[in-house]
Amino acid sequence: MTAVDLLATAFGAVRGHRVRTGLSLLGVAIGVAAVLVLTALGEGARRYVEGQFSALGSNLLALLPGKNETTGAFPGVGGVPNDLTLDDARALSRLPQVRLLAPIVVGNETVSHRERSRQVSVMGATPELLEVRELAVRLGRFLPVEDPKRGSPVIVLGVDLAGELFPGQNPVGRVVRVGDWRMRVVGVLESRGTQLGMDMDDVALVPVATAMQLFNRSSLFRVLIQTHAYAELDATCEKALEVITERHGEEDVTCITQDSVVSSLSSILRVLTLAVAGIAAISLSVAGIGIMNLMLVSVSERTAEVGLLKAVGAARRQILALFLAEAVLLATGGGLFGLGVGATAVGVIAYLYPAFPVAIPGWALAAALGLAIAVGALFGVLPARRAARLEPAVALAGR
Amino acid sequence: MAPEDVARLAVGAMRGHPLRSFLSMLGIAIGIAAVMLLTSIGEGARRFMVGELTQFGTSMLAVNPGKTETVGIPGVFGGTTQKLSVDDAEAIARLPGVLRVAPVAMGQARVESGGRGRSVFVYGATADLPEVLKFRIGRGEFLPPGDPRRATSVAVLGPRLKQELFGERNPLGAFVRVADSRLRVIGVMEPKGQFLGIDLDDSVYVSLATAMQLFNLDELMEIDVLFSHEGLTAGVAEAVRRLLTERHGGREDFTITTQTAMLEVFGNVMDVVTLAVGGIGAISLLVGAIGVLTMMWIAVNERRSEIGLMRAVGATPGQVERLFLVEAVVLTAVGGALGIALGLGIAGLLRLLVPGMPVHTPLGFTLAALGVSAATGLAAGIAPARRAAGLDPVEALRAE
Repeated sequence: MTAVDLLATAFGAVRGHRVRTGLSLLGVAIGVAAVLVLTALGEGARRYVEGQFSALGSNLLALLPGKNETTGAFPGVGGVPNDLTLDDARALSRLPQVRLLAPIVVGNETVSHRERSRQVSVMGATPELLEVRELAVRLGRFLPVEDPKRGSPVIVLGVDLAGELFPGQNPVGRVVRVGDWRMRVVGVLESRGTQLGMDMDDVALVPVATAMQLFNRSSLFRVLIQTHAYAELDATCEKALEVITERHGEEDVTCITQDSVVSSLSSILRVLTLAVAGIAAISLSVAGIGIMNLMLVSVSERTAEVGLLKAVGAARRQILALFLAEAVLLATGGGLFGLGVGATAVGVIAYLYPAFPVAIPGWALAAALGLAIAVGALFGVLPARRAARLEPAVALAGR
Repeated sequence: MAPEDVARLAVGAMRGHPLRSFLSMLGIAIGIAAVMLLTSIGEGARRFMVGELTQFGTSMLAVNPGKTETVGIPGVFGGTTQKLSVDDAEAIARLPGVLRVAPVAMGQARVESGGRGRSVFVYGATADLPEVLKFRIGRGEFLPPGDPRRATSVAVLGPRLKQELFGERNPLGAFVRVADSRLRVIGVMEPKGQFLGIDLDDSVYVSLATAMQLFNLDELMEIDVLFSHEGLTAGVAEAVRRLLTERHGGREDFTITTQTAMLEVFGNVMDVVTLAVGGIGAISLLVGAIGVLTMMWIAVNERRSEIGLMRAVGATPGQVERLFLVEAVVLTAVGGALGIALGLGIAGLLRLLVPGMPVHTPLGFTLAALGVSAATGLAAGIAPARRAAGLDPVEALRAE
């Protein structure tokens, strides 16, 4: 028997029973489609998170005041004995690895214009922030270039905040109240959306010294540093810690590279995706049991046929191959069907939620189809062997 | 046909093909086991979270500075112009229903003793903190009562920090250096474990005024309020909100978090997660049901002549339909029971092998699983049973 004969026979057998064949295909297809859709969702979540981080700007590291060896604690919460000051920031900016440096102070305050007001995050920053966070200005200009220790009473509004306070008007040149301060609006930011839970459209930016006075703070919230090259991130972290240790007499700041945050989140999401896909893959094993059951029925129905094949000289291995081919054919057909369904479902999700970057990773495609075929082969073995072992004379007589 | 006859016929049919029936059951069993196991893990995780949250008691609320409509986490992101002050805390303490109030300031610093040091959280607190947060003192005593505006030079260590600095030695009476202050150790807390991943035992407690001086703070990080019982939650929260708004010049620039609200949010989130994961597990059950459907379809085809005979001797189409339906339901119910046993077995094994893993199977889940598997049988059996009932008796008798 040639391979073509084998396939043709298997195909004929499968086609003979449309309903049960269709149902078996359906079982495998559901399993494959589920694995594909779930991995695509997981992969989408991972890409979304990575996209959020890269939107923050690349080659970034952040210095936070405070250091904590407690397990599980986030740094940057609560007070610290030694402030991270603007002088520290200036010293850091002299490091050769530093391309741009942006000190930040963050607080919450009510920004109001006449009777309209809104409580937002007010961020004290320097002009460098524009480039470090990859922001853009829609109207007017960004914060002025000046001595960072001199806080002029100017403010740049996020686009939503500007819309709230000045509906349908150009806010540039107008005066808003921030807490007890009066500040002149010099610009409005381009819409940027939410970055890491901070809505950049609903913020107000003021010079860093102004914010420190406003919130009565002596310490910076953090210092963002952009390096020249990605490879320099870790080295820059070390250098920065050295500078601070020298200035403060102890290492009392924490350095976070964006890379470490992204990679840990990314790996968590990858594990989650694998786990969920694995749970979905259980259904493939159930589909395999279904195929096995169907093949057993097929073998017992075709006992006489097997007897005839053996009588005309078919070897055991050929019978084995015949039934195995049938099982694999079923599984492959179901797998391909599932591939189509899964890809369609992912396409629909991508169409409905364009902001969510769902995508079926290549490995998942290969793994799902491969797993389906493997399941067919594995669960086909027992029925095929049963057929191969039939005694020709008994089989010919039919059961 | 009497019900027991129907059952006997169905069981007999299943017995006729033991391997086939077993495989169909196995498919259902795997599906049920997957759903049970996953929802058990979800339920376990939910209970774990509830336990984490209620370790501070349910008749408690926390006030943090800052109210944001934009940023998710209040208080964490730095300053507000209206501070939460010790005066605010004292005013809250005078509200009806409030038992104890614990103002907290917090910072991070290096704590040193005899050449050993460790950077940890430093909490500025008052004598009432252990009662409010259900903390217990292991050794010595907690911070002494007194005016919260007066700094004292004493410290209470968390057990982990004590272990790191002093090992097995008795720390009571020894001195530690926190930032630039020398403080005398007067107590060690009892181990409290972790809260949402943060080791609560790795900390030091100093008097509120000391912490505020140490870190140059002019506001509190949190005011924890203990009231007499859970039923007062809404009333006390509202009273605190009104009081502080008034004190802060009509502005609500703080956030109140009640334990009950937290529990509700976390409970809802965990319920959704459990449902989602259970749903993914249920895909296996669906595939198993398709397997049963396939096998019942084949059974109907194989037993055409038998069906014809039954109809010839007077069985109604309804009786034939019921016969096949019962067969499908028995198949899936037995499969479901198998799956429950499998699920419980794996859950038990997990508990044994991974002691920290929260796995919990409520009795309700088990009963529901059994019900679901029987329902699966009904759903999977209906099409084949209909087909069997619809067969023309004469044609069916002539088959083969």
